[in-house]
Amino acid sequence: MPPPHRPTAALVGNPNTGKTTLFNALSGLRQRVGNYPGVTVETKKGQMTCGGRVFDVIDLPGTYSLAPRSPDEMVAVDVVLGCQKEEVRPDVVVSIVDASNLDRNLYLTTQALELGLPVVVALNMVDVAESQGIHIDAGRLSRQLGVPVVPIQANKGKGLDVLRAAIACAALDRTPAKGPSFPEAFEREVGALRETVGADTPNFLVRRLLLDVGGYTEKRLVDRLGPGGAETLKAARGRMAAAGCPTPGVEARTRYSWIREATAGCVQRPAKRFVTWTDRIDKVLTHKLWGTLVFLALMFVVFQSIFTWAKPLMDGIDYGKDVLADWLRDLMPAGPLTSLLLDGVLKGVGSVLVFLPQILILFGFIAILEDCGYMARAAFLMDKLMSRCGLSGKSFIPMLSSVACAVPGIMAARVIENRRDRLATILTAPLMSCSARLPVYVLLIGAFMSPPRFSWWVSGLTMFLMYSIGLVVAPIVALTLKRTLLRGETPAFVMEMPLYKIPSVRTVLRRMYDSGMAFVVRAGTLILASMVLVWALLYFPRAEGPNGQLYDVHLAHLEDELKDLQKQKEAAGDGAPSELTDAIEAKEKEANAVQGEWQRQSLLGRAGLAIEPAVRPLGWDWKIGVAALASFPAREVVVGTLGVIYNEGKVKSDDVMEAENVGETRLARAMQDAKWEGTDRPVFTTPTALSLMVFFALCCQCASTLAVIRRETLSWGWPAFTFVYMTVLAYIGALAVYQIGRLFL
Amino acid sequence: MALDHLLPLEMLQAGEWADVEDVSGEPEWVGRMAELGVRSGCRLQVLQPGSPCLLQVGGCRLCLRGACLMQILVRPVTAAAAW
Repeated sequence: MPPPHRPTAALVGNPNTGKTTLFNALSGLRQRVGNYPGVTVETKKGQMTCGGRVFDVIDLPGTYSLAPRSPDEMVAVDVVLGCQKEEVRPDVVVSIVDASNLDRNLYLTTQALELGLPVVVALNMVDVAESQGIHIDAGRLSRQLGVPVVPIQANKGKGLDVLRAAIACAALDRTPAKGPSFPEAFEREVGALRETVGADTPNFLVRRLLLDVGGYTEKRLVDRLGPGGAETLKAARGRMAAAGCPTPGVEARTRYSWIREATAGCVQRPAKRFVTWTDRIDKVLTHKLWGTLVFLALMFVVFQSIFTWAKPLMDGIDYGKDVLADWLRDLMPAGPLTSLLLDGVLKGVGSVLVFLPQILILFGFIAILEDCGYMARAAFLMDKLMSRCGLSGKSFIPMLSSVACAVPGIMAARVIENRRDRLATILTAPLMSCSARLPVYVLLIGAFMSPPRFSWWVSGLTMFLMYSIGLVVAPIVALTLKRTLLRGETPAFVMEMPLYKIPSVRTVLRRMYDSGMAFVVRAGTLILASMVLVWALLYFPRAEGPNGQLYDVHLAHLEDELKDLQKQKEAAGDGAPSELTDAIEAKEKEANAVQGEWQRQSLLGRAGLAIEPAVRPLGWDWKIGVAALASFPAREVVVGTLGVIYNEGKVKSDDVMEAENVGETRLARAMQDAKWEGTDRPVFTTPTALSLMVFFALCCQCASTLAVIRRETLSWGWPAFTFVYMTVLAYIGALAVYQIGRLFL
Repeated sequence: MALDHLLPLEMLQAGEWADVEDVSGEPEWVGRMAELGVRSGCRLQVLQPGSPCLLQVGGCRLCLRGACLMQILVRPVTAAAAW
């Protein structure tokens, strides 16, 4: 027996009409997100029960019209027309409209009426409309529109039973809704075009083909018109214009006059517009001075909390990883499998998870600010500044978020609809100095830019300059991209400011969960793979050391001996003989020396020696080259790698960050004492330290960022481009700093 | 004051009301403005002039920027007659 056909209802509506709230209220917790190839928008699917029957519900991306301009906007149209692969055509379209802004919202509804499907109108936020003195006679509206109209309050769950019943009824009835009638001249052209493109093209698309000059339907269907398709279309539009219904005016005129007739006598408006809470709040929040001050204060609080709240969680994850590693090390014999598990997999997973608290907190804040309606105001305030570098106000939050971490920043760029703006934002966001760059700055500034080498104020200034590099270079690159690769008309920037409302806990948690999962699952796999690769390059060839033992086995022995010594010392308590302390120190040194030697003969070590001619002009020796090379998957490993290379064992970023005087830490001392091989010329001069910092400031050393760019742009080309341009920029920057610095310092 | 002359939207001051007479320019832009409720015959109020500007159109509030603002021709109405 074939499975019974399960009826499907699709939700369409303008952004900020409470469509997602309605979807959540109808479908409960069981939801899944649908991704389609080639687009970044998602649709959500859930199930609801009405009258004992189970329905599928699809939540389509919020849109102002069904006139697609991009592949992203085409998704909604394809789904409702049944042209989307893997989706069945919906049986009912539920058009959700905001009661306080009826005319504008019904524009989309009139398009939905032409799809050839039954339509149910969900009249949402009737309470908000009432509070503004707007009363709507739903019964009369329903008669005049010719489709059921159900007043609801999605956020309070009111009217949903009636809506469910109306959907079930419409699905049974299957009578297609009827939209406004267009002028005769238009219908004639539609008929003629339909014969050319073939009967298998939905009537809706043929109408769009004619109406949307330069739209996405035109791009997709113009080939079907045969040779000279563009001319055919132009001629048809010309005939329409001659008949007094030119595109695009004819559509707006026809629809709005139909809406005026359909709503006649249904809507009571107050004689004078009420002053709403939104008006009062906006007086302050969109004010040029007060609004900007509130915005800056808010941003400070957000970023401060990201740093403060995430820190204990990140430390916890780090601690958990170390405990697990120690436990496994005791449990398993030394060998490639143990090493792969500990240094490759565990380190890799740990380095992914450690970003999770920051991502969750940032997205929690973004969700709150967006859901309450503030984000649009922030974008409005920042638009002037951002438009100077060819971006728009919507790029500001992604850029600012990238100061914490580029991964959530790039994900936050989804709010930008314009494809070129969005790409320019995504490609330049990784230039902002993220928190993973901080340990490098701290170490190098502490070791080389602080007293006694320089006056007290130089270190703070250097830190400020390092952060400024991103702030200055990112807008320049964005502007260059917008003038070259992403060139195009500066699109008119238009954005709706939604009414303020209290954010819903559910929406916020959902958003945090979705972004966290997206990061861990999709970006995580790539980070893990690259960490395993670096591990392998540092592990192999698994050679024998000078004493005839394999390096890792030798190292494991030394560590066991070290542990025994430490236990002895602990047992002896305060009265431990000084020889014991010396022995421990000697053992540590030996272990570090073995580790370093192993490192040097590894594949990565050899690669470092091979690239030395390339990094020489930057003032680096092969060790620095190796450290830079090893930090390409994740720049935060550089402090650890430097520690290993300078035989100081496993130095952790935190040890550097927490040291009172960084210049006095052992790693800093070892770096200060490092000499060019065979000479007593110090490796690290001021220009070298600066060139290394500039390199880290500009270079794209973060596999997670590249993975997220790939995920968000759906191409390997853009991450490759980002990687190349940032690395080239970093090389040139470091080269310039070293070569110019050498002349003065 | 003569209120029967046409102005580009950009020329309106904060708080002024007007009826949109014509939206011209790229078809894509005209279509987009219509979807958002800005079409000939609609009434709007300028909340904040400049670039970007802030408008009240019907029940919604829009933020707009671009050369296209010059292509929205409006006929000012006195505040008393507005709404």
